[in-house]
Formats: sequence, structure tokens, C-alpha cells
Amino acid sequence: MDAKLQVPTLDSPLPVLEPIKGVKKAPLEEYFTSGHRTCQGCESALVMKLMVKAAGPRTVVLGSTGCMYVANTTYYSTSWVVPWMHTQLGSSGSAAVGTAAGYRALMRKGKIKREPINVISFCGDGGGADMGLSAISGALQHMDYNHLILLYDNESYANTDIQASGSTPYGANTTFSPHGKAKRILHKRWKKNMAAMLAAGHPECRYVGTVCASYAVDFMNRIRKALSIGGPTFIHSLDPCPKGWDYDPMLSHELGELAVLAGIWPLFEVEQHQLRLYGKTRAIVEGRQKRLPVRDYLMKQGRFAHFTNDDIDYFQAKIDEMWTRWLIPGVLPFSTDVLNERPPA
Amino acid sequence: MARTISVEVVYRGIFQKTLAKNICRGIVLAARKEGKIGISFGRYGDSPERNGIPAKNFAIVAPNEEELQLSMAQYEPETTDVTISVDDMLCKGVESWAWYGLQPINQKVRDQGTLIVTSMLPAEALINFCHTKPTPYRLAVIPAIPSFSGLWVYKDDHTDVRILGALPKVCPELVSLDSIQKAIKEEWNDDLKVTSARRTYEHTATRTVRPGEGNPEVPFKFDLPGWTKMREGVTIDGIRLGEPIKFGDQIGGYRPARNPYFKKYTTRTMRPVIDFDKCIKCTLCWLQCPDSCFDVTPDQTYDLNAEACCGCGVCEAVCPVDNCVTMVNEAEFADNKSQWEAYKQDKQAYQAWVDEKLTHRPERSHGFRYRGQYQEQVAKQGVGPGGAE
Amino acid sequence: MDPDSATAVRVAAAEQEALISGSEAVAVATRLADVDVLTAYPIRPYDTLMQYVAKQIANGEQDAEYIVAESEHSQFEIAKHAEAVGARAMCGSSGVGWCYAFEAIAVTPALRLPLVAMVGNRALDDPGAFGTEHNDALAARDLGWMHVWVDTAQEALDTTLMAYRVAEDRRVFLPCAISTDGAFLTHSQTLVKIPPQTWVDEFLPPYNRGDLRLHPDNPITIAPQVNEDWLMEIRRQTDEAMRNARGVIEEAYRDFRRIFGRGEGNPFFEEYRTEDAEVVLVGMGTLSMPVKVVIRKLREQGEKVGFVRVRWFRPFDHERLGALLSRFRAIGVIDRDFSMGSPFNSGVLANEIRATLYAQDRRPPVVSFIAGLGGREVTIPAVKEMIEQTRRAAAAGKAPADTQWIGVRA
Repeated sequence: MDAKLQVPTLDSPLPVLEPIKGVKKAPLEEYFTSGHRTCQGCESALVMKLMVKAAGPRTVVLGSTGCMYVANTTYYSTSWVVPWMHTQLGSSGSAAVGTAAGYRALMRKGKIKREPINVISFCGDGGGADMGLSAISGALQHMDYNHLILLYDNESYANTDIQASGSTPYGANTTFSPHGKAKRILHKRWKKNMAAMLAAGHPECRYVGTVCASYAVDFMNRIRKALSIGGPTFIHSLDPCPKGWDYDPMLSHELGELAVLAGIWPLFEVEQHQLRLYGKTRAIVEGRQKRLPVRDYLMKQGRFAHFTNDDIDYFQAKIDEMWTRWLIPGVLPFSTDVLNERPPA
Repeated sequence: MARTISVEVVYRGIFQKTLAKNICRGIVLAARKEGKIGISFGRYGDSPERNGIPAKNFAIVAPNEEELQLSMAQYEPETTDVTISVDDMLCKGVESWAWYGLQPINQKVRDQGTLIVTSMLPAEALINFCHTKPTPYRLAVIPAIPSFSGLWVYKDDHTDVRILGALPKVCPELVSLDSIQKAIKEEWNDDLKVTSARRTYEHTATRTVRPGEGNPEVPFKFDLPGWTKMREGVTIDGIRLGEPIKFGDQIGGYRPARNPYFKKYTTRTMRPVIDFDKCIKCTLCWLQCPDSCFDVTPDQTYDLNAEACCGCGVCEAVCPVDNCVTMVNEAEFADNKSQWEAYKQDKQAYQAWVDEKLTHRPERSHGFRYRGQYQEQVAKQGVGPGGAE
Repeated sequence: MDPDSATAVRVAAAEQEALISGSEAVAVATRLADVDVLTAYPIRPYDTLMQYVAKQIANGEQDAEYIVAESEHSQFEIAKHAEAVGARAMCGSSGVGWCYAFEAIAVTPALRLPLVAMVGNRALDDPGAFGTEHNDALAARDLGWMHVWVDTAQEALDTTLMAYRVAEDRRVFLPCAISTDGAFLTHSQTLVKIPPQTWVDEFLPPYNRGDLRLHPDNPITIAPQVNEDWLMEIRRQTDEAMRNARGVIEEAYRDFRRIFGRGEGNPFFEEYRTEDAEVVLVGMGTLSMPVKVVIRKLREQGEKVGFVRVRWFRPFDHERLGALLSRFRAIGVIDRDFSMGSPFNSGVLANEIRATLYAQDRRPPVVSFIAGLGGREVTIPAVKEMIEQTRRAAAAGKAPADTQWIGVRA
């Protein structure tokens, strides 16, 4: 398609953010620093750090309720160097629009200096994939406002003590879906396919991507792309959670890699309406990298410790389906016989 | 018993949540056998718990309901008769994620009260970590590798019942061994657990810690400002930018400014030791650290800033070089000094220091790694040294 | 020649007259106030405000970010965050729409964001009803929002300018809700004086958020999570701001009169024929219209009756209102709202008046009425009946214990 036809009029100034060429070129400055109160090995804290490291000093961050609110900013202290403001659980989309709209009006009217200001609004999977979905959808339609909505997905309402969300994987133990004597599995919903849903549902949106902080440079460069491309953008990050997933915090980085290598977390981006798989996901699709069995990923986590072999096989079948039957493998879950698959009784 | 007795369990968030709950429930249920009434609760401000961040659970036992009411609308008791530290590294101090200032582990222990610690270290070593107290208290060490598990899978190594067994010994007023055994039998229906409790009762001894004994340092305190001093709009200043590091005539690298109110000294059970000669400057320990606890040195190597490290071990996991970044038991460190500066001052002495430290890798398991792991560990090391004692 | 009539001449010369509704008057005020960000979401009767704003935007008469949100909640959150970066914002809602935004409404005061919102007062569904009732706005009465009730389109326009001036004063920095009765005020067009821009510019300084502004040049953290060690102090700060608002409102009205040559002497409540009154009715909003008509008629017959219209409900001027009301022999309070199971089964206003009088040495009987719910007209006979009952209470020296429902079918 002709991308130029899709380009809206972008009158707010855009930042120039060059791609980071390798780990050794990563900026030294920290804009989200030490002294937050997250768990040992918290991958989402790393996501916050890399997010603003990539964005730089002329950035404003809005944070909706969740771990990255409560654990990072406990009143009278903060870990943020750049300006930060709390927003409500379902408001990451609205907060981004309101902040960007405020700057746009003030700049146009000459009430403040006209300059690029990165507006990043983050939400967890509870705030983003559940409660805030409508507001995010609304935000991705307002092309006049430059901002990035980042969903850090630790696959549960982790801050309130690990309750099931629309983004919790099938069968996982949560405090709202415990493994019990009568019911081995209480959480039977399949994880929402957020990034593809938003990319497919918002044709004007110029950047939607998935990331994993285990690949720090890829991660930061996607943030830079989203912030400099113009208009509203969305990035979905899978964040291993040592508390809710129940694993040794030392393994956060490894579990991120395993999610990608097992094909459970496809890395892709839709940039100006062009879909591109990248990183290890691309390597798997091009046959340069073997897709690992999901067992290698699931069995490292206490939240799946109750799984039987049937459960693991079912999980594997659903993932295989992603790569063999989906209209766009790993991205768009349309095919004729998806529904024939049923969980084990 | 004519008075209310308060027991406090200080533990590692999530890793020891079930353990702490088991102990406090056990106390209240055992006391019930003697017609006493009690409550068991976690400190609300510690919830939601964070992996490894200190948290507290309490058991309060009273002769009757009226007495108990005194304790029923409190977040935590003023003083405790017994404080139980289920991780010996908490003897260095306690700071919850939700409040400010470092609480000495023995802060709430009353005059002549008891501090129970599960540890493989001798009492003297533990006392050196504990802050000094103006009043004497007693220390009981239960020999055990601090028991860690996670949110969903519990490591059942009898630590809970062994501590329950020690209680009637150090605080007969609280509850008798007989009631403890009855309660364990009812709650777990496991004779081996009952035996573990009795054996621990028999073996437990206390040592009096005199005023002035222990760590003399005055812990960080924080005074809360009033509403006329606080900024409107629930607004506070952000953290300023960091700066390059100056060392001798060297200037370079980067040290981020850090949250001055919350340091992670008490959050870790281990910390990385860096062998700077092995470092290939790949940046991964620094880049992948969720706590930004590495300073970039003027040599472009990465120095641990111990005030910020919560001991997760990701740096060791991502380091591509063997024994370059190695997690070492926190018990082996008396201070939080810069490793890089020590290295710069005397490379040979530093190498010797590193080699010695690397012989103290932590025995703790920081949570789930694979199914059946805990059963294997318990089978290997038994339930407490020497199996069911 | 007294200065007032002098300015009156100046006014006549400079102000233009337009035939617009109360909602449209608020829309015009947002243009005059150079509001930066406006958010819209449809619900009757509030939508009439944003429909007019949309026209002004479309015709190039107003320069602002005009955002059609996907819910009332988003509408308020967008406006809230625009305020945080130093942009002047306006939004609003009606009935259950206001309730849908309630989370955002609840968090705004502690953040000290001077958002101004219009409430097109509407009954709360179910059953779906478009008519006016004050329970929507009153649901937020205790949260730290300033609340003002207007009864004409002119007052709606003037009060909107006043609201920004007060809310954006650093001593206050609180949000303000302007209540306009659905249908009677939002949908009927009357002749409104539209002041020249120069007067508005003189009256309303730019919104300066100062050191609370969210901007890369001012690296702050806003609204970290707090535990029990902090929240009481934060509540006390909001309480202090609301106390300050009383004085700031007085200043604003004084300045308004100086610059515009019109407006109220007493911002907080309007007195109508109270000078020598023995009994008075008290109420809020457009029910003032039929009440005033009846009062005039009865006055012609020599009856000493009056009316007090409460304008600023938060902050509430308990001192002056209490001193005034204690003069009368009996007071009838009309609530266009309900507070089921409250003391004496009254509406909200009646019990606020009772509380206000409690501090007075002289406490006249208070007759509490509920009338005009769901937009039902408050008729001339209804008003007469309320005055009659109040007069009886004056004669008896005591009021009926229970609340009187007026114009309800048994």
C-alpha cells in the first residue's frame, strides 16, 4: 500500500531519535533510577528504565495504577528523573491524549516554547488489556497527538497480589484462579492478542509493536521509533514477573528469552502499515532458529507447576496453531478450524 | 497467663510468606488449646509483598477478648515478647517497601524478650549484625538454612514447625509444648512434624545479649513533615541527573543519582562480587539491572553500588564470562564500600579478596526453578540439619 | 451621580446581546476564557454545551483542542491531564454520565487541578429520564470540588469566567462544577450580554501552574502512592484550599463588578425581597423563577415573604447564611434532590440549612420540601403551598418533623 496516503498532518514537532547501534552505544544516563521498591529481579522495572533511557530527558511519563505506580513511587520518594504523573487504572490512553493535547494547544498559542516533548503513558495488563482498552482505542484514533502507550504485561494484576487478567495465560495459578482439588484449572481464558488487535483495529495508527526487555537494544530502538514516527503509538512488552510467575528472580532475563524462543511471545512491529517480524521470532520463521517446546518455558514457573502433560500438550497445540494455522502466523488468529481445539477435560 | 503476648515474624516478602503465616497460625491455634484467644495478621503496609523485601506477620495471644481488643486495631504491636527472624540477613535491619527508615531487627523486642533467628551462623556472628539495644534481650539460634520458596509452591522443610517447637522453650508464658504438638498434629496431621517441633524444643538454648552488644551504628531515621510543609498537589521533586565519577585523576563514566529515602541494604541475601580483570565490558550487568545499581566507572567497567542492589542475581545470569560477576552470601560483607575503588587501590589484595568471597556462594534457593526441586533439596539436606532433629 | 450608573452606561455601550441557551452561554464563556482543551461525550442535556463549542471550533471562532472522547471517564481524565501541564480545560456531563466519570472526578481535587466542569443537572437512571434533578452534582459534594448553581444563561456565562478565576488562584487550585438545570437552563434560549474580550482579559489572568506544572523543565513526580502516614495531611491541605476559596470568591466577584459593571454583591446566595420578610423559601437553580413570581404576587397583597437562592454550595457560606436565616420566623427549604433515609427524610440542602442554623442563637423552624424531581415543573400552586406550610410553621413556632413531598401523586 502507499504509506504516504496514510500520513496525517502532524503539526506538533517530532523528536529525532537515532537508532542505538549495539549495547555499547546505549546512553549512560538513567532517567528512571534506583530506589524503587519492586521485587528482586522485576523485569517491569527494567522496562521502565530502558523505556526512558531510550526516550531521553525531554520526556514526560504518565503511569497508570499498578506495580509500576505503587512500587516505584511511594510518597515522598520517587525513582523518576523525568517528570512523572500518576493516572487512573483505565486511563493510560486518556492521560496520553490529555497531556499531548495540553502541550499542543499551549505551543500553538505560543504559551510555551514549541519543541518536541515525548509523552509516554504506561499501563499494566490489567489497566491496558482489561479496564483501559476503550481509552487506548480512543487514543489511537486521535492522530493529532504524538505519544506512546506502553503496556507492560506481567500477565496478572500483580500489584494487588496476582489476580487473573485478560492477559493471564491459560491455566496459570493466580489468587483469583487457584489450582484446587476439584478444579485443576480455573483460568480457562486464552491470553488477549493486544498488539495485533490494536494494529488491525486502528488503521491510521503508524506504529504498533511487541517487545521483550531481554533484548534491550531492540527494545530501546522500538521505543525510539514509536516516539519519532508521529501520532499515537502502542508497544506491548512481555515482562516476566518473579513473584506472580514464581521463579528465581535471577531467571527474569532467561524467561523473557524463552517466551520468545518457544514462540509464545512473537516479536513483531507494524510500522506505517507494514508488518515485520524481527529478532529471534524472525529467525524462527526463517528457519534459522529452532522453536523450543513450551514445556521448557512453562515448567520453569511455579504458576504452571500443577500442569499435567495433557495441559502442556494443549498449550503446545495452541502455540503450534499460532504458527501453522493463523492467517498471519503469530499475529492474526484467523483460520477455519481454530475452534476445533478444546482444552482437555 | 494474665497478660497479652505478642510475637512478630520478620521475613522475606513472598519467599517466606507461607512460612510466616504457618508460624503465626500455629501459635494462635496452639494457644486456643489452652483456652486463650489470639489473632494472626500481616503488617498491612507490607502488602502487596515484593519478593525479598522485608515484611512482617504477627501473632497476638491474650487471656481473654477484652485484653485482645487492645491489639485488634493496630498495624503492629509496640513491643514484642518474641521476634522471629526467618532469614538471618534480616539481622542487618528491616525496611519495608511501604515506609521509611531502617528498623533494627530487635527494635520491638522488650526487655528480657527473645529474638529467634534461623541460621547456620554462630550467635556471635549474628549479634554483630544486630543493632545495639539499651535493654538486654535473649537470642536463640535455630540451626537451619533460611527457607525460601515462592507464591505457589511451598518448600516444606519443617522450618515452620521447628520454630513453633522453640517457642514454648523461650516463652513458656505463651503456650506449652503439649499444645504446640496438638496444634501441629491437627493442622498438618504429620507425626514427623510433631517430632521436629519436640526435638527443636529440646535443643533450643538462649544466650543473653547485653546492652551495647552488637552493631553500634545509628540506623537511618526519617521524620515525617506536616501538611503546612508538604507541597500541594501530592507533588514532590524528581531525582536529579547523575554525574561522571571522579577517582584520583580519572574522571569519566556515570553514576546515576538515586532515591535518597529508600536504600536496599536490607532487601538482599546476596550481592554480586565483580572480578574487574575478567570484565570484557559487554555492558550487560549494567544494562539489564532492574535496579540501576551499577555505576559506570571511568575504566568503562561496572561497579556495584551496594546501596541500590536488592540481590536479584540477574547480573550474574547475564554475564557471559565465568566468575566475572558472582553472587556471594550477604553474610560475608561488613560494609557497602565500592569494589572498584578497592580494586584500583590494590589489585593483588582485591584479587585475593575476590577469591575468598567466591568460596561463599549462597546456599539459599530464591524460589522455584523446576518441579520437584524442593522435594529433592529436602531429601538431600533433610528437614533441618540432621533431618527431623 | 453614583459610580454604578456611570459604569452602567459603559456596559450598555460595550456589551453585545445574543439569544442563546445556558449551555451555549457556557460555551461562549470558554471562548472568551481562551480555554485550551475541551472534551466532549454525548449525554443530554450536557451535550448542548459541546455541540455549540464544536460549531465555534468548526467556524474558526475558537482556538482549542476539541476532543471527542470515547467515554465520560476519558473526557474527565483527558481534561484533568491537560490541566496538569498548564492548559485551561473544560468538560462536564449529566446524570449517570457524571457518575461514569466519578473516578476521575474523585481524584482531581487532591491533585489540585483547577478543572472547570458543567453539570447539566439530570435525573439518575434507571429509569432513563432527561429531566433535572440535583443528585448527579451533589454526589460529588464532599470531594473537594467547588459547586455553584446558576439560574439564568447570563449567570452561567459570568459564573464560568468567575469559576476559572477562582479555581486557578494558587491559594485554591481546586476544580469547580457549574450546575445548570436540564431543559430549563440548558435548552431554553434567553437574551445574554456577551462582554468584550478586553474586559475578560483584564478580569481573568492566564492559568499559571507554577512549580506544579508537569513539563520537562520542571522534573517533579505527581501523586505517588501514599500510606497511612500521609493521607490525613493531604486531605487537610485540600480542606485549607476550600477554606481559602471563600475569600478568593469574594475578591473575584468584587473585581468582576469593577470591570463589568454588573454582577452580585454577595457571591454566595441571592436574597429576593427578604428585607422585612417573616418567612422565606430557600432553594437552588431555576426553581427560583416560579418562586419569585409567587413572592411578587404575595408581596402585592402585603405578605412579608422572601426567597433565598443558594448559589455557591461548596464552599458553603454558613456564617452569613446562618446569620440571615436566623432573622426569619420560619424557613422552607426546597430540595430538587433526595437523600433517602437522611435525618427527617430530607433532601441534601435542607439538612445543610439545619446544620447551618444550629450554630445560631435563634433557630427558626425549618420546613423541608422535596419538589420538581425528574424535571417535574415546580408550579405556582406548588410554591404557594410551600409558602403556606412555612407560614403555618411560623405561626405554630415549630415545623412538621417529616419532609413534605410537593406535587407527588399519592
